[in-house]
Amino acid sequence: MDFSFNETQKEVQGLARQMLTDLATVERLNAIDKQEDRFDADLWKQLAEAGLLGVAIDEKLGGMGFGFTELALFVEEVGRTVAPVPVVPVLVSTALPIQKFGSATLKKAWLPKIASGESLVTAALMETGNEDPATPKATAKAKGKNLLVSGTKVCVPFAKQSDAILVSAKTSKGVVVVLVDPKAKGVKLTRQVSTTREPWYEVVMKDVLVPEAAIVVKADKGAAAMKWVSERTMAALCAMQIGVSDKSMRMTASYACERQQFGVAIGTFQAVQHRAANCYMDVECLKLTTYQAVSLLDSGRDATNEVAIAKIWAGDTGHRVSYAAQHLHGGFGIDRDYSLWRYSLWARQIEMTLGTSARLLATLGERIAAGKAFAE
Amino acid sequence: MKLEFTPEQEALRKELRAYFKKLMTPELVDEVSQTPGEGGGPLFWKAMRQLGKDGWIGVGWPKELGGRGMSEMEQFIFVEEVMRAGFPFPFLTTESVGPILAANAAPRLKKLLVPKILGGEIIIAIGYSEPGAGTDLASLKTTARKEGNEWVINGQKMWTSLAHHADWLWVAARTNPDPEVKKHKGISMFLVPATAKGYSLSPVHTLGDVRTNATYYDNVRVPEDHLVGEVDGGWKMITSQLNRERLSLVNVGSFAQLFNNVTKWAKDTKLADGTRVIDQPWVQINLAKARTGLEALKLICYRQAWSMTVGELSMQDASAAKVYGTEFFVELYRLLGEVLGQSSVLHMDSKGAVLRGRLEMLYRTASIITFGGGTNEIQRDIIAMAGLWMPRAKR
Ligand SMILES: Cc1cc2nc3c(=O)[nH]c(=O)nc-3n(C[C@H](O)[C@H](O)[C@H](O)COP(=O)(O)OP(=O)(O)OC[C@H]3O[C@@H](n4cnc5c(N)ncnc54)[C@H](O)[C@@H]3O)c2cc1C
Repeated sequence: MDFSFNETQKEVQGLARQMLTDLATVERLNAIDKQEDRFDADLWKQLAEAGLLGVAIDEKLGGMGFGFTELALFVEEVGRTVAPVPVVPVLVSTALPIQKFGSATLKKAWLPKIASGESLVTAALMETGNEDPATPKATAKAKGKNLLVSGTKVCVPFAKQSDAILVSAKTSKGVVVVLVDPKAKGVKLTRQVSTTREPWYEVVMKDVLVPEAAIVVKADKGAAAMKWVSERTMAALCAMQIGVSDKSMRMTASYACERQQFGVAIGTFQAVQHRAANCYMDVECLKLTTYQAVSLLDSGRDATNEVAIAKIWAGDTGHRVSYAAQHLHGGFGIDRDYSLWRYSLWARQIEMTLGTSARLLATLGERIAAGKAFAE
Repeated sequence: MKLEFTPEQEALRKELRAYFKKLMTPELVDEVSQTPGEGGGPLFWKAMRQLGKDGWIGVGWPKELGGRGMSEMEQFIFVEEVMRAGFPFPFLTTESVGPILAANAAPRLKKLLVPKILGGEIIIAIGYSEPGAGTDLASLKTTARKEGNEWVINGQKMWTSLAHHADWLWVAARTNPDPEVKKHKGISMFLVPATAKGYSLSPVHTLGDVRTNATYYDNVRVPEDHLVGEVDGGWKMITSQLNRERLSLVNVGSFAQLFNNVTKWAKDTKLADGTRVIDQPWVQINLAKARTGLEALKLICYRQAWSMTVGELSMQDASAAKVYGTEFFVELYRLLGEVLGQSSVLHMDSKGAVLRGRLEMLYRTASIITFGGGTNEIQRDIIAMAGLWMPRAKR
């Protein structure tokens, strides 16, 4: 058991925190919000130049060659500043599976471009009425060695801005994982408006031709691969939620030390202190369960229960801390000239993405009943 | 960062689990089930001495003191397994008072008591609270006054748990009555043998069947080296003892076992319609909530044990562990009790009692540690102050 961060981890964390604090300022976020897409292309470039986009990409492919832990720590910092950069869809949900499952050609084709910031890629993990990408309704049928993919994916972040979308589809032999070109014939993108204003799209595919070279995982292993992707995406969302909720809580504590009512700082009231202390415990629980999930995934160990538990905490902590922060700020907490409102939206979006607390409790409960989740 | 046990730690856990399977004979289980977490019977003492002989109690203690020289993490693993086994281990003596005493007691007493603690031979009861001094512990009124080369102690303590099984008492007394001196700067710690003249006790029975005691000190005389640490320097020992106590109080072991037992019961038990209890969706949800809370508690505890190993146990984390753990237990007993349904209110002596009536009893004991061991309100004050830099409360 080692709860400390090693030197590399501290460096990645320090570099990310420094850059994001300096560059994703409230003024910058305000300016980005005036754009059509909530995306800071300059910041993305700067993160690429600093090497951070390639933190978990092989050195031979233009990255720094570190592990999932370092990547998660970077994602946590993005949460802490609610920076408008798609680290989870690009670096976690798409780059990682390309690196893990893709052919040498596919890796060479994509990973250097991702690390350099030249290309955005994304993953389509949701369908209407189906939030498990390992059991897609979308279909793929063979056309020679190539595939024809049809179906509808929703809530796909940055689909239009990306050069490839990771898609899972079922075939008669199992689930395949492929890269779909959003500009290919048969793909129709429709803008969706998410609560955080992160650009989302509905992706409708009708007999979209996917060349053999763009198949990431074949039908025999695709379902397992999508579980792999889901778990890492969930763990990364939890890491982002750490940043979001930790920062909301700390903004609240500082605000309570400054804001005076009845002639004293509101932070001297025990009721105020105790609600903040409750946030502290929630954030601790989220941190520890998330770091455990991240650590196990990084070691390549089974972490099904641990990821679900972390995501339940991400939902609960996100919700409770967000409301406590808004409440303890009073009116200023929801004033769009102050930045807490963005944190509230991200907390909510993360809570509701890839498994809510209620659904995951049900999943975990089934596993307990099946003898797969004893308290070891 | 690696939140997994090392292979050695995994092996230690396995070894301990096998060890306790053997140690916990049906007769011993029967004896210790009669009282909640108290022990004190003949088989209990036999097992304690065995634990001592086998070198377990001091597994994480330094070799110079007679321990095995492993770290706080291994010590924590041992306590977790002892609790998982359902043995009423006197952890306040061994985990909380013991190390503070070992670091601060006079050489003669240290030499006398440490081997007995690690040998499983004694229990030390804690005499802090008084009828008028609860949360505001520093207002305590028991006094100790120096006469020649003896200390003379006078006063009354309240809620002195385990005093009826204890060989020694760890007593806080006022040594500086000057009203100009801050309350907590005039308190010293003393070791009082239960055989001392002038010492007596009377039982206090509580809701959860936990017996505790009022203890009385009527001109109790102890030699001068029974003072622990410096004169008027007791407060620091009290707070570090309580920090350690807070961790022991929320050790995850017995709760993990309780969860597993209820889960097994729900699998083995059928409802009238032929389905198993565990097939009910709401049962699965209750168990999942319990499991989710337990997982966080487990990690909080391991992190604390790790912090102690590297020497950076922080106030806010000890307090957070205490508040989270104690409030979670109340919730846990409710969640698990609901799974048992009506049988969760059957007393252990009743026909039809389920899982030895453990949940019926535990539910009655759960409030003790939300206010005891430093009430949760004060712990939240500490978290806000030390963890979030909010203003210190004025009192
Ligand atoms: C079964 C049992 C075993 C015990 N064992 C021991 C033992 O072995 N040794 C020992 O020394 N003591 C022991 N205690 C005593 C225990 O530590 C005290 O009960 C505890 O310190 C609380 O004190 P009190 O009961 O006087 O409650 P009070 O201090 O009167 O508190 C009552 C309520 O007021 C609240 N309150 C008090 N001050 C504040 C504040 N500043 N802000 C907000 N709320 C506040 C408390 O949180 C609590 O809810 C034991 C108690 C029990 C019941």
